[in-house]
Amino acid sequence: MKSTILISLTFALSANAGATTYPLTLQDDLGRKVIIKSEPKRIISMLPSTSETLCALKVCERLVGVDAYSDYPAQLGKVPKVGDLFTPNIEAIVAAKPDLVLISKDGKLEGPLTQAGITVFALYPVTYDEVFSKTLTLGKLVNREAAAKTLVTGMARDIAKTEILTRSAVNRPTAYYEIDPTPYTVGPKSFLGVLLGKAGARNIIPESMGEFPKVDPEFIVKANPQLMLGLDRQAAAARPGWAGLQAVKSGRVIDIPAELGSSLSRPGPRLPQALRGLARLIHPELFR
Amino acid sequence: MGWARLPRTLGLIVLVAVAVVLGTGLGSVTIPPAEVLGALWRGLSGQEALGSDVIVWQIRLPRVAMGLLVGAALSVSGAAFQGVFRNPLADPYLLGVASGSALGATLAVVLEWPRALIPVAALVAALGAVALVLALARRGRQFPPTRLILAGVVVGSVLSAASTALILRGQDRARLVLSYTLGDLGFSGWRDVLTVLPYVALGAGTLLALARALDTLQLGDLTARSLGVPVERLRLLVVIAASVATAGAVAYVGIIGFLGLIVPHIVRLAFGAGHRTLLGACAVLGGAGLVLADLLARTTPLSQVGIVTTLLGGPFFLWLLRRQHD
Repeated sequence: MKSTILISLTFALSANAGATTYPLTLQDDLGRKVIIKSEPKRIISMLPSTSETLCALKVCERLVGVDAYSDYPAQLGKVPKVGDLFTPNIEAIVAAKPDLVLISKDGKLEGPLTQAGITVFALYPVTYDEVFSKTLTLGKLVNREAAAKTLVTGMARDIAKTEILTRSAVNRPTAYYEIDPTPYTVGPKSFLGVLLGKAGARNIIPESMGEFPKVDPEFIVKANPQLMLGLDRQAAAARPGWAGLQAVKSGRVIDIPAELGSSLSRPGPRLPQALRGLARLIHPELFR
Repeated sequence: MGWARLPRTLGLIVLVAVAVVLGTGLGSVTIPPAEVLGALWRGLSGQEALGSDVIVWQIRLPRVAMGLLVGAALSVSGAAFQGVFRNPLADPYLLGVASGSALGATLAVVLEWPRALIPVAALVAALGAVALVLALARRGRQFPPTRLILAGVVVGSVLSAASTALILRGQDRARLVLSYTLGDLGFSGWRDVLTVLPYVALGAGTLLALARALDTLQLGDLTARSLGVPVERLRLLVVIAASVATAGAVAYVGIIGFLGLIVPHIVRLAFGAGHRTLLGACAVLGGAGLVLADLLARTTPLSQVGIVTTLLGGPFFLWLLRRQHD
C-alpha cells in the first residue's frame, strides 16, 4: 500500500512538472480564452476555495486582496477584503493594481474589470473531479505546477486512507444530507454527494434528481433514512411526520459542526479533512 | 343565490372535492388509492398507523388544509380590498403586509433565530407594517383611499429594500429567505394549520359580515354615507380584517403571488359582483386553486407554489379576459 503511494507520488513529481512559460493562453470556466502575459505576482481571489488553494500552493503572499468570506488559512486575516462576488468593491480591486483577478461563474465582475484592463480568470469547481483539475489549472496559472501536483497527489492519498477505513465498516447507513432547511439536499454527482459515499453512507437521493435538488418532505419520509446530517434532532422531530422516522427515533440526526461545515462547503485543499470529519460522524466506531 | 347559478355553484363544490382528493392522493411518493383510503380509515377509526399512513396524515392532509386556508384568506382579502378601494388592481398585499412579513422573516433568519420563531417575527412585522401605513395615511379621522394606497406602496418599497440589504449581508442564508418570499407550503403540519386558523377565521369572517356594506360602498362614498354606511369606519375595519387574515397566512407560508388578485375577478365573471356571493365563492375557489397549484409544485420541477400561481395564473387570467370580450 505505502509503496504504491510512494511510487505514484514520485511519478507525479517527475512527470513534466516544469516551469510555466508565459505568455500563457488558457480557457476559463466562462469559456473565455484568457492570455496571461507574465507570472502573476499581485493576485486577487474572489472565492474562498481559490484563496485557500493559492495558500496551499505557497503563494499566499501574492494575494493583494480577497473576498469577504476568505477566512482560511488564518494569515488571510491580514489581506485587504474587497467585497464579495455579488457586492464587489470594484474601486478597491482596481486600486490594488492586480495582474490577475480570480472570479467564479457568478457575479458580474468580469465585464467592468476587463474594461479596466485587468486580467480576469473564472475558476469554479462543482464536481468532485473538478476540485483536483482546477487545482492543477491554478498551479499552471501561477507557475506552481509541481506544487499543485504534489498537493493533488497528497489530497488523493489522504482521501484514499479514509476510504480504506470506511470500506471496512460493517454497515453503510442510508443517509439524507441537508444543506438548507427548505429543504435542499445533495445528489450523488455533486462533490458533497461523492464525499458522502466515500465516508461510508448510502445517499437516499437518486442521480436523476440532480446535484443540489429541493426535495418534497414526503420523499424523505418514504425513504426513511437511517441517518440524517446537516440538521439537529429537535428540528427534525418538529417536522410534520418526521418524529417517527428511524434516524430521529434512534438519535442518528447529526448537525454538522461549524468548522467541519466550513471545510465541507469549500471544494478546496481541505477536502481530505472534510471527508475524514464526515466519516467520523457517520462511523465513530472506526476512529476509536 | 339564484337558480341560474346552481350549475356554477355545483361546479365549485366539485372543484374543491377534486382538489382535496387529488391533493391527498397524489405526491412525489406514489401511494395507491386503496392504500390512501385505508390510511384515512385507519386514522379515523383509531387503528395502528401502517407504512404510508404518516405521509397521508402528517404531511398531505395538513398541506391540503393549509392550502385551503391560505387560498381562502388571500382571495377573500383581495376581493375585499378591490371592493373597498374600488380598484380592480388591488391585491391582499396592497398595504405592505408582504414586505413587512418578508422583513420580519429575513431579520429572524439573519439573526439566526430558531426556525419556529420565523413565522412569529413575520406576523408581528406584517401587522406592524399595516399599522405604519394606516398611521401615515391618516388625515384627521379619515383614511382617504389614495393616501392609503400611496402609503402602502412607499412603506412596501422601503421595507423590501431593507430586506434586500439584510439578505446581501447574510448571503449564505439567502436561499432560506428567497424560498420564503416565493411562498411554500412545504413543512405545514397540523400545528401550523391550527395557528393560522384563528387569523383567517377572524379576518375572513369579519369581511363576510361586512359584505352588504361593501355592496353599498360601490355606489360611491357620498351615496353610501347618505344610506347610513359609516364609510371611514368600514374602510378601516376592512383594511384591518383583510390584513390580519393575510398576515396570518403569509407568516406561515410566505408570499404567494397573484392568487388574491385574480380569483376575485374569475368569481365576478362567473357569479356577478354581489359581495356576499363574491366573498363566499372566493374562499372556495381560492382554497381549491391553491391546493391544486401546490400539487403541481410538489410533483413537477416548478418546486414552489408561489412560482406555480404566478406562472400559470397570469396566462389563464389573460385568456379569461379575452373570452369576455369575444
